[in-house]
Amino acid sequence: MSGDGSAGASIVTAPVVGSTPRAGGMLVVDGLVRHFGGVKAVDGCSFEIKPGTISALIGPNGAGKTTTVNLIAGALRSDRGRIVFNGSDLTGKRPHQIAEQGLVRTFQISREYASMTVLENLMVSPLHQSGERLLNVLFRPGRWRNEERQHLERSLEVLDEFGLYAKRDDYAGSLSGGQKRLLELARAVMAAPKMLLLDEPLAGINPALTARVADHIERLREGGITFLLVEHNLEIVERICDHVVVMALGATLATGTMADLRKNDAVVQAYLTGGGI
Amino acid sequence: MSLFLLSLGFGIVTAAVLALSSVGLSLQFGVTNFVNFAYGAYLGFGMFLTYTLASLLHFPLWLSVVLGCILTGVLAVVIDLVILEPFVRRRTSGFFMLIVTFGLQLLLLNIIQAVWGVGFQSFTSGSGSPITIGPFSFTADQLGIVALAVVAMVGIHLLLTRTTLGKSMRAMSDDPSLAKVSGIDTARVTLWTWFISGCLAGLGGVTLALNTVSFQAYTGNNFLFVIFAAVILGGIGKIYGAMLGALCIGLVVEVSGVWLSSAYKLDVAFGVLVLVLLVRPQGIIPTLGKA
Amino acid sequence: MGAVLGYIATLGVYFFIYNIFCLGLNIQFGYAGILDFTVITFMAIAGYFAGVAVLGPPQRGSEIFYILGLNLPWPIALVIGVVAAGTLGFLIGLVALRRLRSDYLAIVTLASGSIVYGIVNNDNKIFDGAAGLVGVPQPYTSIFGFNPNTYTWYFLIICAVMMLLCWFVAERIYRSPLGRTMRAIREDMDVAEAFGKDAFRVRMLAMVLGCMMVGVGGVLTLAYVSALSPAGWSTGETFVIWAALIVGGRANNLGAIVGSFLVAVLFNEATRFLPTIPGDPNLISNIRNMCIGGLVILTLWLRPQGVIPERKARFAELPTAAKRRPPGESLVTLGSVDSVG
Repeated sequence: MSGDGSAGASIVTAPVVGSTPRAGGMLVVDGLVRHFGGVKAVDGCSFEIKPGTISALIGPNGAGKTTTVNLIAGALRSDRGRIVFNGSDLTGKRPHQIAEQGLVRTFQISREYASMTVLENLMVSPLHQSGERLLNVLFRPGRWRNEERQHLERSLEVLDEFGLYAKRDDYAGSLSGGQKRLLELARAVMAAPKMLLLDEPLAGINPALTARVADHIERLREGGITFLLVEHNLEIVERICDHVVVMALGATLATGTMADLRKNDAVVQAYLTGGGI
Repeated sequence: MSLFLLSLGFGIVTAAVLALSSVGLSLQFGVTNFVNFAYGAYLGFGMFLTYTLASLLHFPLWLSVVLGCILTGVLAVVIDLVILEPFVRRRTSGFFMLIVTFGLQLLLLNIIQAVWGVGFQSFTSGSGSPITIGPFSFTADQLGIVALAVVAMVGIHLLLTRTTLGKSMRAMSDDPSLAKVSGIDTARVTLWTWFISGCLAGLGGVTLALNTVSFQAYTGNNFLFVIFAAVILGGIGKIYGAMLGALCIGLVVEVSGVWLSSAYKLDVAFGVLVLVLLVRPQGIIPTLGKA
Repeated sequence: MGAVLGYIATLGVYFFIYNIFCLGLNIQFGYAGILDFTVITFMAIAGYFAGVAVLGPPQRGSEIFYILGLNLPWPIALVIGVVAAGTLGFLIGLVALRRLRSDYLAIVTLASGSIVYGIVNNDNKIFDGAAGLVGVPQPYTSIFGFNPNTYTWYFLIICAVMMLLCWFVAERIYRSPLGRTMRAIREDMDVAEAFGKDAFRVRMLAMVLGCMMVGVGGVLTLAYVSALSPAGWSTGETFVIWAALIVGGRANNLGAIVGSFLVAVLFNEATRFLPTIPGDPNLISNIRNMCIGGLVILTLWLRPQGVIPERKARFAELPTAAKRRPPGESLVTLGSVDSVG
C-alpha cells in the first residue's frame, strides 16, 4: 500500500470552488443535494478524491451512499451541487457521457448481460468502438475488424487475470454469485476507465473471494485507476483504502484515514459505535 | 346553451366510462405488475355478454349489466388461471408478459368476432327525451352511466380502505415480497383482483357501448389507448390517480370536440399521453402512493 | 401447369416479403429489445408513399383523392416509401425510446399505430381513406410482360434480391460491435449506459432500420398486389409478423426466416384451403387469428427461445499464449456459423 494516510485528516472538506482543473482532485463533489418528495436522500455531500487513490464511501444504511453514486454517475439528477471529474463539470450530463469521460460505475447487485457470453460481456465495454457506427458496419468492415481483434485479445487477457478464462464461452447468467462479481470488475476494466465507482463490490461473496477482489482493486490502482467504493466491510476498507468519506443523513460527516476517523467523536457516535467497528 | 357546456357534460359521461375501465386496469397492474394488453377485449366481452342477456334472453337491462359484468370478471379469473398465472409462476419477465397479453388480445378479439360476428350491435334501451340539469343536458342512459361510475368508485374506495381484501391489494401493490412474508395469501388476492378488474372492464365496456350507441368487437380495443392515457396520466398502478386521470382525459377529449372533428377526438387522448410521457412519465400525482 | 407454377411463385413472393418483415422486427425486438407492437403500420406507410409516388396525380372528378401522385419510376418510389417508414419510426421513437419502461414503449407504439390507422382510414384526402389506393401499376411490366404467371416469377427475383440485401444488412449488424451493443442494451439498458453506450441513439438506430426494412416489404407488397387499403393492415397483421419471429426464434435471423415460412406461408396458406362456412365468411379468418394468438402463447410456454434459438457468440479459439502472438492473419473471425457477406 502506498501513501496510507499521508493525505492527513481533513474533517469535513471545505467546499471546493474554482473552474480550473486542480491537480489534487480527480473527482470533486461539492454541495450535492437530492430530494425524493419530502425526503432529503442526499443533503450537502462534499468530498474530493485524489488521483491514484482508493477511497471508500461509508456510512450507516440510509446515509445516501448509493444515491450519491447514482448522482455522480448521472443516473439521477441532482437538485443542487456540482460534480467535477478530471477537470470537467459532470453536472447534468447523461450516464453514457460520464462513462465516456472515463468514470465508470458498477451496481450494487450484479447486473451482467445474462444471455450473452462472458467474453461478449467484456467485448461490449471498450468505449468509442468504431464498429458501433452503422456506416462502418455496413461499408467499411476493415476499419473495425482490426480493432475488434485487439479488443478480443485484451478481453482474453483480462479474463485470464480475473480467473474467468475457462468460463469465457459460458452465458454470463450461468455464473455463480462470486464469479459475477469478478465479471463486473473485469467488464469495468475493459472500458479502460480513469476512475471506477464501485457500489458494494464485495456484497454477498465469501471471504476468500473478498480478499481476491480486494487484491484486484489494489493491482488495478497500481495500473493507474482511481477508485471510490461504497463498502460495508470496514476490515477491507481499512486494508486497501487510503482515504475514507463518512456520510450520515445525506451529508458528508468526515473524511480521513480509518485511523483518523476512529479518533473523531462525531463519526464514532454517528456510525462506528452502531456499526460495531 | 353553449356548445362548450354541452361538451363539458359529455366529458363527464366519457370520464365516467373511462374511470370504470381505467381503475380496473390500474388495479390489476398494481397487484400483478404487468400491463394487460388484452384488456380492451375484456371490455368487448362485457358488451357482448350483456347484449346477449338483454337482447336475446330478454333479461331486464340492469340485470343483464350485473350478470354480464360478473361473467366478465369470471372470465378474467379463468384466463388468469389458465394462461397468465402459469407464466407468472415461471417468473416470466414483465417484458414477455406483454407479448403474452398481446397474443391474448388477438385470441380474445377473434373469439368475440367468431361468436358474435363482425357487425355492429346496439342496446335498445328506451332513452326518451333528454333530461336537463343546470346547464347540462343528458339522456337517461348517460345519467345512469355517471351514477354507476360514482357508485363503483365509492365501492372501490371502500373496498381498498375498509376490507381486508382491499388492504391486502394495497400491500401487494406497494411491495409484493413484503406482502407475501407478512402472511397475505397473494394467490387469493391476485384472483380477486382479476375478478374485480374483469368486472370493471365489463362495466366499462357496457357503459362505453351505451355511450357510443353502436358497438362491435373492436370498440373496446380501440378505446384501449384512451384508457392507457388515463392510467398513465394518473400514475400507473395508482387507483385514485386513475380516477383523476380518467376525469382529465374524459373532459379534454369531449371539450376538444368543440374545435375538432369527432373522428379525431380520441386522438387528443394520445396527444395527452405523449405529453405526459415527455414531461412527467411517473404521472401527475406520484406522491399519493400506489393503489 | 402454369397456374400451379404461378401459385408457387406467389408463395415465394409472400415468403420473401415476410422474411423482410421478420428481419426488420428482429432488429428492433430481437437485437435491441424494442416492443414494436405496430410493425404493420410501417409496412403500410411505406406502401402508401411508394404508391402515391408511382401513381399519377388523382384525376379530377373521379372521387378518388390522394396526396402527391408523382408518376415516378419504381426504384425512386421504393426509396420514398422506405424513407417514409423510417421517418415515422423516428418520430414514434422520439417519444417511445426516451428511457421509458418497456410497457410504456409498447403502449406508445400501439397507440401510435391506432392513430395512424384512424387518420388514414378517416381522411380520404391522404390515401383515399377506407377505399385505399387501387390500380397502382406493377413495376417493370414493360420488361417482364403482363402475363401474371410469368410476371410473378420475375417479381419473385426482385423480392429475393431485396430479401438478400436485408439479410446482408441484418447479419452484418448482428455480427458487429453495433449488434453486440444493441443486445447489451436489450439485456440491461442502465448497465450499457454506465458503460458509455448511448442507448437512445443505438435503440433509435435499431428502430429506424427495422422500420425501413419493414418498409421495403411494404413497398414490395403494394407493388405485387397493386392495391392497399386499411382493411389490409389491421393489428392482426402485426401479430402474424410477431408470431413468425417468436416461433422461428428471436435474435436469430435464420429463425426469422424459418418462422416466416412456418407461420406466414405454411400456416396461412394451409388455412386458405379450409372451406368457407356458409353464412359466416369471416369465421375462417377469425379462427386463423385465434390460432396465431394461441400459437405465440404456446410457443412462449413450450419453447420460449423459438425453433431456432439465438446462437451463442463464438469467437475463434485463442489460446492464452496467443495473446503474445502479434496481431495478424484472420485468426479471429466473428462467429463461426455460416456467414453471408
